[in-house]
Amino acid sequence: MASVTLRRLSKVYDGGVQALHHLDLEVRDGELLVLLGPSGSGKTTILRCIAGLEEVTTGEVVIGERVVTNEPPAARDVAMVFQSPALYPHLTVRDNIAFPLELRGVARTQITRRVLEAATRLHLERVLERRPGQISEGERQRAALGRAMVRGPQLFLLDEPLSRLDAQLRIELRGELLALHRALGATMIYVTHDQTEAMTMGQRIAVLHEGRLRQTGTPEEVYQRPADVHVARFIGTPGMNVLQGKGRGTGEKADGGRVIEAGSLAIPIELTTYEGELQVGIRPEYVGLCAVDKGVGNADVLVVEPLGSETLIHLNAGGQPLVARVPGFADVRVGTQVGVKVDRRRLYLFDSAGAPLG
Amino acid sequence: MSALAPRAWAAGAAGAAAIAAALTLGVVRVAQRHYERAFAFRIAHTTAAYIATVTPPPPPPPPPPAPPRSRTRGRRVPAPLPAAPPPTSPARSYDLPSLLTQAHALETLPGWSSNVEVYSGTAPLVAATAAALSPDELSNLAATGGHWRDGTALVPLTDRDGQDVVGAVAVQPRSMPHGPLPGGFGFSFPAAVIAVAAASVIAFRQHSLRRGGYVGAALLLAVASYVDVRAAARQSTDRWLFDTRRLLQEAAKRLPPPRARNPIPDLAGIVRDGDIVAGEPGESAARRVRVDGERRAVVAVLIGPQRWIELRSAPAEIEAPRWLIGLLPAALLGPFAIIGLRWAERTPVRRRRETAIAWGFLAPATVHLVLFTAGPALYALYLATLANFPALARDPLTWNAFLNSATYALYVPVSIGLALAAAVAIHRYRAHWSGRLLRAAFLLPYVASVVAVALLWQAIYRAGSLGLGRADWLSNPRTALAALMLMSLWVHAGGQMLVFLAGLQSIPQSCFDAARVDGASAWQTFRRVTLPMLRPVTWLVSLTGVLGALQMFTLVAVLTQGGPFPLHATDVAVHRIYRTAVGAQAWGMTSALALILAVILLLFRWPQLQVLRREARRA
Repeated sequence: MASVTLRRLSKVYDGGVQALHHLDLEVRDGELLVLLGPSGSGKTTILRCIAGLEEVTTGEVVIGERVVTNEPPAARDVAMVFQSPALYPHLTVRDNIAFPLELRGVARTQITRRVLEAATRLHLERVLERRPGQISEGERQRAALGRAMVRGPQLFLLDEPLSRLDAQLRIELRGELLALHRALGATMIYVTHDQTEAMTMGQRIAVLHEGRLRQTGTPEEVYQRPADVHVARFIGTPGMNVLQGKGRGTGEKADGGRVIEAGSLAIPIELTTYEGELQVGIRPEYVGLCAVDKGVGNADVLVVEPLGSETLIHLNAGGQPLVARVPGFADVRVGTQVGVKVDRRRLYLFDSAGAPLG
Repeated sequence: MSALAPRAWAAGAAGAAAIAAALTLGVVRVAQRHYERAFAFRIAHTTAAYIATVTPPPPPPPPPPAPPRSRTRGRRVPAPLPAAPPPTSPARSYDLPSLLTQAHALETLPGWSSNVEVYSGTAPLVAATAAALSPDELSNLAATGGHWRDGTALVPLTDRDGQDVVGAVAVQPRSMPHGPLPGGFGFSFPAAVIAVAAASVIAFRQHSLRRGGYVGAALLLAVASYVDVRAAARQSTDRWLFDTRRLLQEAAKRLPPPRARNPIPDLAGIVRDGDIVAGEPGESAARRVRVDGERRAVVAVLIGPQRWIELRSAPAEIEAPRWLIGLLPAALLGPFAIIGLRWAERTPVRRRRETAIAWGFLAPATVHLVLFTAGPALYALYLATLANFPALARDPLTWNAFLNSATYALYVPVSIGLALAAAVAIHRYRAHWSGRLLRAAFLLPYVASVVAVALLWQAIYRAGSLGLGRADWLSNPRTALAALMLMSLWVHAGGQMLVFLAGLQSIPQSCFDAARVDGASAWQTFRRVTLPMLRPVTWLVSLTGVLGALQMFTLVAVLTQGGPFPLHATDVAVHRIYRTAVGAQAWGMTSALALILAVILLLFRWPQLQVLRREARRA
């Protein structure tokens, strides 16, 4: 097995689009790292650079102890699973899985054994003689996994392998993937734009935004201590509320009581150092509703989304969108005005550029 | 509204039936008019010929005054030039009093079924007070050979030699009952009434259409109409026979004695589109007989004491079936419309509209297919009688042509290999300038005019065959076909490359990526991923290429015309077909050859269709 290190990795495509900006990343041996980011953030580019499918513009790719920046894909001993299964339609599932072994000239008996092994682990025994066109989408993705694992590579690169599956199948395969990771003990880099998937799968999550690595950490870390406003917004369902505000003193209290005015809200806060434009973040679960004029301000109810165990209430607070998550069913009507309360201990403050304050 | 309301559909069905019946009756009426006019023109021409035969020339005119002597400058002309003859020689024209007599005699001819007028120049002779022809009309007649005016056939009356128009004959057929039913009705009118009634009853009483009652009524209408049209055709022939018989009898009486002894040549001159032979006594009715295997309408004519002749004519009714082309669709329009309405009644609006739109799009292609593909193909089948095939098999040129075509088609595998290699290279470097350059280089010959390419290569071969030996390959029988193959290779590799390129671009990039990550070399990727995934495209290109090669014509037509001769070294199948048609004008042979080629092409087409079908299933 192997660790992966990216050093000052940059990628500029023909035509001048810079997909990656001086990216440093360390994936530990045997770790399952999730690369998370919205589409266009450069996740797939990182994978392709590690696999050797894209040429690196500047920087280094290190797999294990070896600098492989200029090595061809075949020399890197990595396996990749693509968003589309990329199975060869003219080959049976068995031949698809056997393909990498045949390329390497592995003995036939050994191929048979290893293909069967992989197929058994992935529950593909029954469809081995079928063509990709004759099996289900989930089986296809499993077959692609089988093709990746059959030759026991030191590193797995998984490029949104579950995004084309329906929700039920996705949850099922997600579990299987985790089990597989534990069983193989292989290093895996898993790309997804689905932050639920990232939270449930990753030992560590690397959050990308616009070709830059914003934060690396455990799911709890990226949720609780977002490195910047992009991470804060992206992690969580729904993501963190970010209000554009202004800090100022009220002059009411002797200790220099201050508020942040954001839209129709005036949130009292102890803040001594910052004056002027800032962004205040608060997760929906720390936003509550109360009677009009009883909270930090009033807001109009735009949309109510009852989800059963909880209800999402979309509010308009003086022109700024705000989502509240309340338990159970909430008795609010669209178009009415409500009071808003916030948990002042759970506020995140960012400067106007998005960097955390304090 | 999801479907047509019952009353609306019933009214529509009855209306459609009425329109179909009216159309059918219209076709019948057109056919009847057609035959009436045909008769009028025919009898008018016969009458003009009759007048030319029986009317004597005018008495010789007084001698013209001597022409003035012409003096010429310089030398004297030894003899005076003869005077130019007048436009119409008097001996060729007619004696006006006799003409007048003949014209009046025609009017009182017993048993004639038409009114007749004879014009001398522009002046009417029978009814002297009738309107004269305009001079323009008379000169038009000479050009057109006759025209229809106000229910009258007007044909030119030429002089005795048939040279100049000296007058006209007008025939106005008296209307005769067309049909055998009382009041002159034919069968078609009652049949039309029945058809409309049947449709209305079925529609308004909601009877099932499955019983086919209305279709039966419509077919009855078609049959009845055809019977009427055929009767009209028959009547037009019979009328002409009877009226011409009267003219022949008159003519026999009026011929001058020396010619009356053997009148048949003179009488035959009157009847230009029929035959006159010596005959037996017979009944007065017209009969249909077979003469030398052809159907003829005949009447016996008594032209003197115990002297009978037989007047024969092609019966118009043998051509009558062509009216079915109009009658059947017109009559069946009703059932089709009703079936369509029935379908519309049960079908939701949206599907109805979509189907209508689909047929709208299909209509031009369908018409084209029927007119220009199915029609000619059936005609070729009809032309190619079985006797032509053994004759073709005995002709060494046939074998030579098909062998040449087969040999020529051997360039296809070579060009496919070349095209595939080029496509892979271009696909790999598609973003690079070198790839684009290669693509343009391959495509240029393909998009250029074949004729221009052919002439270019002709120049190359003439200039020394690419430096490979001096001889002009095209004029050497051993190399001519190979020279054409080389040219085709150069032209068609581009098109095939384009298809392969499209095929390559349809392979998901991830398949290539997966192969690379799995450690496949470039050759392994090509051999084990690219080639198998291109297999349907390769099939398509191969079959299309072979089919195209077997149909090659342009290069041969432009460059060698099948030569060098006498070996016919480049005489390929299509060129042989062309030579047989245009050179030998042997249409039966041509059709037979074309059929053989078509069968061969179909044999190749079959697997191609299979491949396409498999692809369609897989997609």
